[in-house]
Amino acid sequence: MKGIAWGLKSLRRHRLRTALSLAGIAVAAAMLLDMVMLSGGIDKSFTDLLLGRGYQIRLTPKGTLPFDTEATMAGASGIVAALRRDPAIEAVGAVLGTSLYGRTADSLVTLFGYGIEPDAQSLYQLASGRDLTPGDSSGVVLSEPAARFLGAAVGDTVTLVGRLDPQTVTAGVGRRLVVRGVVRWLYDYRGQPSVGTVLPLMQRLARQPSADRASVILVKVREDAAVPGLAARLRARFPQIEVNSVAELVAHFRERLVYFRQLAYILGSMSLIVAVLLIGTLLTITVNERLGEIATLRAIGVSRATIVRQTLAEGTALTVVGSALGIMLGLFTARYLDAILTSFPGLPAAFSFFVPRADTLGFAALVLLVTGSLAGLYPAWLASRAPIAATLRAEAT
Amino acid sequence: MIPPPLLARELRKDYPMNGETVHALRGVSLRVDAGDYVAIVGPSGSGKSTLLQLLGGIDAPSGGAVEILGTRLGSLSDRELTRLRLTRLGFIFQRFHLLPVLTARENVELPMAEAGVAGRERRARARELLAYVGLDHRADHRATQLSGGEMQRVAIARALANRPALLLADEPTGELDAATGHEILALFRQLNADGTTLVVVTHDERLAAEAGRIIHMLDGTIRD
Amino acid sequence: MTLLREHLGFDSVPASVNLCALCGSVVIFSGMMPARTVARALLIGLTFAAPGTPAYAQLPAVAVERRLAEDLALRVGDTVRLGTAPDSMRALATVGAVYEPRPDPAQITKSERHMRMHLPDLAAILGAPDRVDRFGVGLVPGTPADSAVAALERTAFGYQAHASSAIASESSQTFIVVSRFHRAIAVITIVASAVFLLCIMLLKVEERRMDAAVMRFVGVRRRTIFGALLLEAALIAVAGSMLGTGLAFAAGAATNAYYRRFFDTALVFSLITPGIVFFSVALSLGLGLAAGAAAAWRLVHTRPMVLWGRR
Ligand SMILES: Nc1ncnc2c1ncn2[C@@H]1O[C@H](COP(=O)(O)OP(=O)(O)OP(=O)(O)O)[C@@H](O)[C@H]1O
Ligand SMILES: [Mg+2]
Repeated sequence: MKGIAWGLKSLRRHRLRTALSLAGIAVAAAMLLDMVMLSGGIDKSFTDLLLGRGYQIRLTPKGTLPFDTEATMAGASGIVAALRRDPAIEAVGAVLGTSLYGRTADSLVTLFGYGIEPDAQSLYQLASGRDLTPGDSSGVVLSEPAARFLGAAVGDTVTLVGRLDPQTVTAGVGRRLVVRGVVRWLYDYRGQPSVGTVLPLMQRLARQPSADRASVILVKVREDAAVPGLAARLRARFPQIEVNSVAELVAHFRERLVYFRQLAYILGSMSLIVAVLLIGTLLTITVNERLGEIATLRAIGVSRATIVRQTLAEGTALTVVGSALGIMLGLFTARYLDAILTSFPGLPAAFSFFVPRADTLGFAALVLLVTGSLAGLYPAWLASRAPIAATLRAEAT
Repeated sequence: MIPPPLLARELRKDYPMNGETVHALRGVSLRVDAGDYVAIVGPSGSGKSTLLQLLGGIDAPSGGAVEILGTRLGSLSDRELTRLRLTRLGFIFQRFHLLPVLTARENVELPMAEAGVAGRERRARARELLAYVGLDHRADHRATQLSGGEMQRVAIARALANRPALLLADEPTGELDAATGHEILALFRQLNADGTTLVVVTHDERLAAEAGRIIHMLDGTIRD
Repeated sequence: MTLLREHLGFDSVPASVNLCALCGSVVIFSGMMPARTVARALLIGLTFAAPGTPAYAQLPAVAVERRLAEDLALRVGDTVRLGTAPDSMRALATVGAVYEPRPDPAQITKSERHMRMHLPDLAAILGAPDRVDRFGVGLVPGTPADSAVAALERTAFGYQAHASSAIASESSQTFIVVSRFHRAIAVITIVASAVFLLCIMLLKVEERRMDAAVMRFVGVRRRTIFGALLLEAALIAVAGSMLGTGLAFAAGAATNAYYRRFFDTALVFSLITPGIVFFSVALSLGLGLAAGAAAAWRLVHTRPMVLWGRR
């Protein structure tokens, strides 16, 4: 800024007041930041999670979302084969999710089982050991919690017991399998004991009414742009099956969490209003106190523009410093709030509600800066319009 | 022919007051030439401050006209008038009106900064001016840390910052004790000797006596 | 138009309720996941029969959720066709009742619709005779649920028994999380408003700086000035608290109206209890008065010359 920043120096005159205002702006900015992170974070986090391995389309039983229910689709291998013939499709993987038991020395522990196709799976990442190979009907991969439950490490042998049949009241068949690797399941909630085998093996363990069933079929499309068209085509082709692109799943999910987005908007706007009110009130009162000074400046030839600029600069300085403090506070509180929300039961551990994104953070900062500076407009106008002679005379009383 | 620094014709100023009108000025004409030292004296309420405000373009007359260096103030926009006050006029107030948050030097630099004078030149001239009013050792004190006499000297340095054609002062010694007032008086004499044109409103007999010309005001008019 | 029934929750299994007379505190679930169910039914609204036509008088009756009835324009007496898939809509039924489900916060964000029918009718549609997802077991009054659960777990192989209270606490977990989140947000909001309040009060009192200086000059006692400033602060705090309470009730009513419409439910979303009002008013009055007193004290203990000069 050219010249002498008397406006900014005025902020130092009333330290307590400036400090309190900064604290207020910081808390409001932190809240705004958190709410911006919350409003965009859910989508972002969910999209990232679903697109983690690039599979853009999910096929599930009609009317369900992936792993939402225990419903399964019949004739999975036929559908998969048909899909693999489609030139637009790069990869297809069928998955069966089911509950089963693992046998430990003294009891059965409940596990969640995934039947996957090793050459087209998008559900886990290998943490240690090695991956399953297609046709490996004696291998299993475990999640960290499952390995702990079963007390098994890579290379050990574990016994999985299929679903209990309530009608015959007998346990299902038991299978002795070798632990090939420990993996991180992308959609597991924290501490979920999951195990994975090749699909046919899990189908046998799941004891579905018919053998060839899957819970979800994941489709990787070659061109991202082709996804909506392909999804529509698949929907027409398989009317008995639910076809969802990731974007559509995100939309479903967003609908379920609509409350949080609305809360984010409301609280975000309220924070903005609080910040603007604080800056506006503070500046209006300081300007009123300084009308004499301002009239003097006008008398000795300081232009209205300079007065406005200096007053706005005060508002901007408050906003910038307050926001800087607010960002630190906001990032801290976001972690705390995220820890609360991610303890939702059944939520994938990799999910977070508050996601700092450069674009949304930049947007929030910009909005705050603009509105904070605009909050100085009224006081600036007040300052620049003060009648010089009358104000000087009033000051002399 | 160079126009005079100040020319006022038939100035009138009315203030509306509870439905009535106060006639603060009832037709004042005045000419001040370059190098003049004019004192305006008169009883309280005779309209001296009002006149000075009109001459300085910080208030508009109800009638008549003011010309500064040949420019009619009434014909100027607010922005042009502000610019004229900045570059052609210097103001000195009874109660100093320095910015308390700034140091003495910054107060002096302020009109130059507004006029767009570069930083280095500004600082050099501020130092020079403070030395001229005898305050070089107080340059970095904040205005609130100065005595009344010192504040008024800073105010004079500030008024001189942009080399004005005309200096207007309203009771510059009004808030000061006799001794301090005397110093300001000496400063004004020095200023006038160095070629500054001065118009001073005062109750101070000594200050009036210093002036080359004394204008007596009574009830909104000049009494000859 | 097809609609799906999924998630037969514990509270919405009237089919088994009818048969099992579910009234006790122990529920046995078959399978591992109590909240999930394998049963699916598809329902298609049909208008091929006029209500009350005698030919369909012997059809099984179903009870349809009010929103579903509205979606499909169904009325009592209408005939519907039911099935497990769009290509197997073979069963016919009449709408025997339209019911308003108990408001359930866990359900509001889901767009699913429910209907209830007698267990044998559902079993017939599913082609799974004599199968149920769960039994409700009523206990003789005085029997502790936990010991009943343990006994059932020991004897009934292949089943899992859960006490209703355990299920209730599990399904309320979501709301515990939400309310913890709300509390955290509330803490932040309270801090923000407290700072705001302090700031405004300070400014408000400091606005009186010149008045205080003049009063001190003319010899008014500090106590008097302090009292006057404090009184003003108190009046502002009281007026602000009243205004704020009014605003809160208005905002709460607006929130409720909005979300009730939005989710089409009778649930209460914003509840302003006397406790909340008391807490907020006490906090704002207390903070306001404290801030006002602090600022006023500062003001009357500053030398009048300084007050005057620091304009
Ligand atoms: N804003 C105003 N409204 C009404 N009347 C005013 C206003 N300003 C000045 N006056 C009146 O105009 C007259 C001239 O005032 P002015 O301040 O010019 O007097 P003065 O000669 O400077 O007096 P003093 O020597 O006491 O400073 C006075 O009668 C005053 O009451
Ligand atoms: Mg006067």
